[in-house]
Amino acid sequence: MSFITTLIGTIAFAILAPIVGCLLAGLDRIISARMQGRVGPPILQPYYDVRKLIAKDNVTVSGVDGVYMSAALVFTAFAGGIFFSGGNLLMSAFIITMAGLFFIMAAYSSRSPYAELGAGRETVQVMSYEPMVLLMAVCFYMAAGTFNVSSVFGLSAPVILYTIPAFIGFLFILTIKLRKSPFDLSTSHHAHQELVRGTTTEMSGKTLAKVEVMHWCETVLFLGWTGMFFIWGGPLSLILGIVVALAAWFFEIWIDNNFARVKWQAMLRSAWTVALVCGGINIIVLMLV
Amino acid sequence: MGYASKSPWVIHYDASSCNGCDIEVLAALCPGFDVERFGIINTGNPKHADIFLVTGSVNERNISVVKQIYDQMVEPKVVVACGICACTGGIFHDCYNVIGGVDKAIPVDVYAPGCAVRPEAIIDAVVQALGILEEKSKALKESKKGA
Amino acid sequence: MLLIAFLILFPLIIAALLLLLRGDGIRNVVVWVSAVAIAVASIMFAVQYLGSPWKGFEFSSVAADYIACAIGVAISGVVLGFGVKYKNSLAIVLAIIQLVGDLIFEFGFAHNVHVEVGLYVDSLSIVMALIIGIIGSGICVYALGYMIDFQKHLDEHGEGMTELQRKDRRPTFFALMFLFLSAMFVIVLSNNMTWMFTGWEITTVCSFLLIAYTRTDEAINNAFRQIIMNMLGGIAFLAAMFFSVIYAQTLSFQDFVLFGLNFPWLVAVPVCLLAFAGLTKAAQMPFHTWLLGAMVAPTPTSALLHSSTMVKAGVFLLIKLAPLFAVCVIPAQMVILVGGLTFMLCSFMAISQTNAKRVLAYSTIANLGLITACAGVATPEAIWAAVLLVVFHAAAKSLLFLCVGTAEHHIGSRDIEDMDLLFERMPWLARLMMLGIMCMFIAPFGMLIAKWATLVSFVDSRQMALVLLLAFGSAATFMFWGKWLGKLSGIAGSPENVELTVHPSEWASIGLMAIIALVACIALPLMSTLFVEPYIAGIFGQLGGDIAIDNLWISSILAAFVFVILFAGNHGSKAKRADVYLAGVSVDSDDRIYRNSLSGESKATSRNLYLESIFGEGIVRRPGEVLCTIIIVVAIIASGVVPPVL
Repeated sequence: MSFITTLIGTIAFAILAPIVGCLLAGLDRIISARMQGRVGPPILQPYYDVRKLIAKDNVTVSGVDGVYMSAALVFTAFAGGIFFSGGNLLMSAFIITMAGLFFIMAAYSSRSPYAELGAGRETVQVMSYEPMVLLMAVCFYMAAGTFNVSSVFGLSAPVILYTIPAFIGFLFILTIKLRKSPFDLSTSHHAHQELVRGTTTEMSGKTLAKVEVMHWCETVLFLGWTGMFFIWGGPLSLILGIVVALAAWFFEIWIDNNFARVKWQAMLRSAWTVALVCGGINIIVLMLV
Repeated sequence: MGYASKSPWVIHYDASSCNGCDIEVLAALCPGFDVERFGIINTGNPKHADIFLVTGSVNERNISVVKQIYDQMVEPKVVVACGICACTGGIFHDCYNVIGGVDKAIPVDVYAPGCAVRPEAIIDAVVQALGILEEKSKALKESKKGA
Repeated sequence: MLLIAFLILFPLIIAALLLLLRGDGIRNVVVWVSAVAIAVASIMFAVQYLGSPWKGFEFSSVAADYIACAIGVAISGVVLGFGVKYKNSLAIVLAIIQLVGDLIFEFGFAHNVHVEVGLYVDSLSIVMALIIGIIGSGICVYALGYMIDFQKHLDEHGEGMTELQRKDRRPTFFALMFLFLSAMFVIVLSNNMTWMFTGWEITTVCSFLLIAYTRTDEAINNAFRQIIMNMLGGIAFLAAMFFSVIYAQTLSFQDFVLFGLNFPWLVAVPVCLLAFAGLTKAAQMPFHTWLLGAMVAPTPTSALLHSSTMVKAGVFLLIKLAPLFAVCVIPAQMVILVGGLTFMLCSFMAISQTNAKRVLAYSTIANLGLITACAGVATPEAIWAAVLLVVFHAAAKSLLFLCVGTAEHHIGSRDIEDMDLLFERMPWLARLMMLGIMCMFIAPFGMLIAKWATLVSFVDSRQMALVLLLAFGSAATFMFWGKWLGKLSGIAGSPENVELTVHPSEWASIGLMAIIALVACIALPLMSTLFVEPYIAGIFGQLGGDIAIDNLWISSILAAFVFVILFAGNHGSKAKRADVYLAGVSVDSDDRIYRNSLSGESKATSRNLYLESIFGEGIVRRPGEVLCTIIIVVAIIASGVVPPVL
């Protein structure tokens, strides 16, 4: 893993992830619609939305939210690039947190009460999922012997065989990371809620488009993390990884459509309990074996 | 067709009157009609919205609210007056505090009469609004190029 | 050798000089000149011994031993005096114990032991000397402007205070600051444990006098809490020296460590006692309350003593003991558990604080806990991480303290909620504060890289409990820094800029801290090779740092990128300005005032989440103190009982 590989990976991710993520977002909306007995929008609808947002007039409250969101996008691209070029899993996790921080700052910068409240909740969300992300990475490290993602291709068995509890815990916090109901506290895709649109209330036009694109990239990255557990040895296992990632994604959509939103207290308690139990058990087992 | 008309996000405000039109607008946004087929999303946030659906007449009390929501929407934007009260003041036009239709407060692009306005009429009005939105979008692009 | 003498003696002379100077002008000149001299000397010192292995200097002097003893007696005397004056019996008892112990030790034991190699230098002491020399003297310069405002505030608002409380004590203040610098150099450069102990006690008493600076009841109480806790540590240090003389017949730290490596069971008790001294100085639970109380002191004191240097003496001692932790299980476990618990619990409690200085204090304690735990783990990676944490924490935290101090004088509050709009009111200061905060907790800055190495070393050494403590603790870290950062970044309208009256000396040292923090982050790979790796190689014979150099470079590039965004990316936006959405008719968007349902005006307010029902001090503190006390007591008893039984 060298610096050049990461750079190439980052550029490739910055080009490909929005395409894949956009299609996934479109599919998400169609599947959700079908679950609700509707037809749903065309698959390219998220693309249309973003193109429209880019064409809108340039308006801002604070003047800096656009810059912060650009930074968030760049960091997301780096996080994805590091991961998909086979780099360090922990580094990828840390840098995607940095992207999240810039998103939070963009929301805070407007000083809108709704955006501030959303941003405050977003920090609670990060705090809720962060322990499990770290423990997931630690379990990966203990099973694979390194944080380097590329090492999975040299394994004789997939990491999942040693990390089932950690994987379950990760699936749980994946819902928070993807901002799906019941954990869509900071901002929601649905109208008429107490927060208006939470973190994105004051964002419009290009800035909002950046948020959408960042979510696409994040989805691809997190599904990449999911698939990573199932890959080993030959390239054939890549297909298994992709299938599992898509299944996990379908599962998240199903949860999104079936659960009502919870309060932050419930989110924090449940996410930390899951992290402690799943992560803790897995680490104990791996340390003893 | 440009992208503006493929992804019309609406915001809906009930100014006053009997609320019948308000219920019809919400009905039109219900899953039964599945307006998301056309990319329509009900946003509830003026900063994200392209189409402003107003029901009811404008009165002394809410005129500033209507104006503010309109001002906070980002160009290009269109306004649809839903129901006869929103168009002209309707049967409330000579009430002591009623000023009149929405066009007394903000420029209205499409009028959808009816008491109450029917979902089909609302959808027709929105479709017509899309055409206007498209034109405004083009005009904005031109002005940006010119500037 | 000459440079060492200069570093130790020059601040002493300046301290004496400052005690006599009364005028602001002449004091400014003396402090500026001597601060620059100390900084330059410490850089020259670092350059001269860069990358050198452990190098001792044969230096011993009976006179110095007697002076050390006399200082010890004087310190006990000062504490005794204050104890009598303010009727604090515990302080009196401890001072008497220490006085008697000191004298018995000097005349009964120490005379028979001769330490040839009195002074030494290695990469760790170079790092510490640089921190003391550059950051420490930078803070002294900052104090010039700060103390003018501080005294002005006392003169203007001190109606309710007594004459004693309002008195201009600035000569003493600056003298203590420089005396402190000298004592810190003694600690990090002495191989003779008696001298080290003397430096240790001087820092304690300096801190005591500086906390009590204003002589208010609160200040006096907190000062006594500090002195009592730290004298417990001092007495433990003294007891450890007794053991060292009795078992190992040496007072040379180096020889003590070598002896311990050969006979680990014999040194279990003294190592435990020294570790205990380190824990008290580093304000680990249950002793963390003294550091919180110390926040009543003027802010430069908090920056110098209570975040960047004095508390670092505690972890410095622990890092020096690391080779012994690798062989003595009991003290190692004590240090690991106390450090890990302190890290997690203090990070939790920081969430519930609105007072910026208390947040900084809790975060300082938490980070010291992390360094402590690393020292206890004692693998090459852990020590690599510990040293880097010391450096990054010193730079970023002193930057933050100085920013908060200046902000407090200009906005009249140190409450985080009042820092709303600081981005507009004090544009440069807010950006620097944001930089400091980011350096503290987030990738790609050095602090996080060090944390990462910590995680790796915990996993590799199979410290399961520590991995969990670290995972939950760092999640809490994100929360309390993130919301503070958010509060700072708010922008609305153009409020009055109150930044123009900040003293140039304050700008100079805040700028210096920012540059140090940033350079340290960007030059992380270089720093690792130049300073940290030689030390690790000298101690363990192999290199630590499992993190590939490529990752270090990636993070250093990203750190530079963040810096550009913060300082260059914020202006020149051509976008139209819009009002905030207040769900109705807004009257004044900048003040978030809207028309309410009765046609009156209401102000929308929002406050950050402080989660007091979960992370409040009342909930977290007690269990943590009890747990840590039990761990320490059990460890000290066990280290005395278990090795002989085995």
